[in-house]
Amino acid sequence: MNFADLISLATAVSTRIGAYTPDSIFLAIAAATIIGALVTVLSRSLIYALMGLVFTMFGIAGLYIYLNSPFLAMMQILIYVGAITILIAFAIMLAGPMYKHPGEWSGIIKFAASLIVSSLSFIFLYKVLMRTDWIQAGVKDFGLTTKEIGRVLFDKLTLPFELISLLIVVAIIGAIMLALLSKGEK
Amino acid sequence: MTGQFLYNNLYIYLFISVFLLCAGILGIAFRRTLIGMLISVELILNGAGLNFVALNRFLDPDNAYGVVFTLFIMGIAAAEAAIALGVILLIFRRFRHIEGEKLKEMKD
Repeated sequence: MNFADLISLATAVSTRIGAYTPDSIFLAIAAATIIGALVTVLSRSLIYALMGLVFTMFGIAGLYIYLNSPFLAMMQILIYVGAITILIAFAIMLAGPMYKHPGEWSGIIKFAASLIVSSLSFIFLYKVLMRTDWIQAGVKDFGLTTKEIGRVLFDKLTLPFELISLLIVVAIIGAIMLALLSKGEK
Repeated sequence: MTGQFLYNNLYIYLFISVFLLCAGILGIAFRRTLIGMLISVELILNGAGLNFVALNRFLDPDNAYGVVFTLFIMGIAAAEAAIALGVILLIFRRFRHIEGEKLKEMKD
């Protein structure tokens, strides 16, 4: 097999894959999201749960790209993968649950009870959502630019935006005060 | 089904967001440590954001309210994670553990 044959073979394979590529990539991303959520919930170790959370966040960012909102996907990766996950990793290291090895599985009865609760709520919500007759607007061009997002953010939803900034300031000051106040105890 | 591709189907996104919500409920109910519960709360908030964006894209594509509210959810999640981690560090310094079941000093 010489080089030209290889090129033609590669082109044939890629065109054959290309016919199914959008759906297959989408299904892979959705499966990654679901598997990541399962790993997050069911793993014994907290670090593995955190890695599952990162996996889920990347999957959700991919779903946002499929929903034509790339700005939101970037924000997802920046905020969740970049900030919140690092924060939780620091908490795992600082609070040190490793040296006691508490073991996340606390008994089969409790697990069965929680599984029943969550699966019942899943069945209920699934039936409600699937039976609702959503009035869909059809597949339009949904290229939301950052300009439109900024217009909605600063023209129509100004009050919630300001309240969010106030909330974040209060949260930062509160976290600092919590960390400072506990210095003298024990 | 609004399009020929699978990713133009609203119900798949709704399924994924309901799955994330129920996985978060499962995690909150049976995780022992407080950090595990916090990770599960993040899953629930992400499911809510995905739901907002999917309904915005398929039901009302002309406005951007769902996308903006998902940005708000991200801000709330960041604030919530910061406060919860401060409280968890405080609990660890005082009791030397972070297991939710053993925190019953006010109950006794």
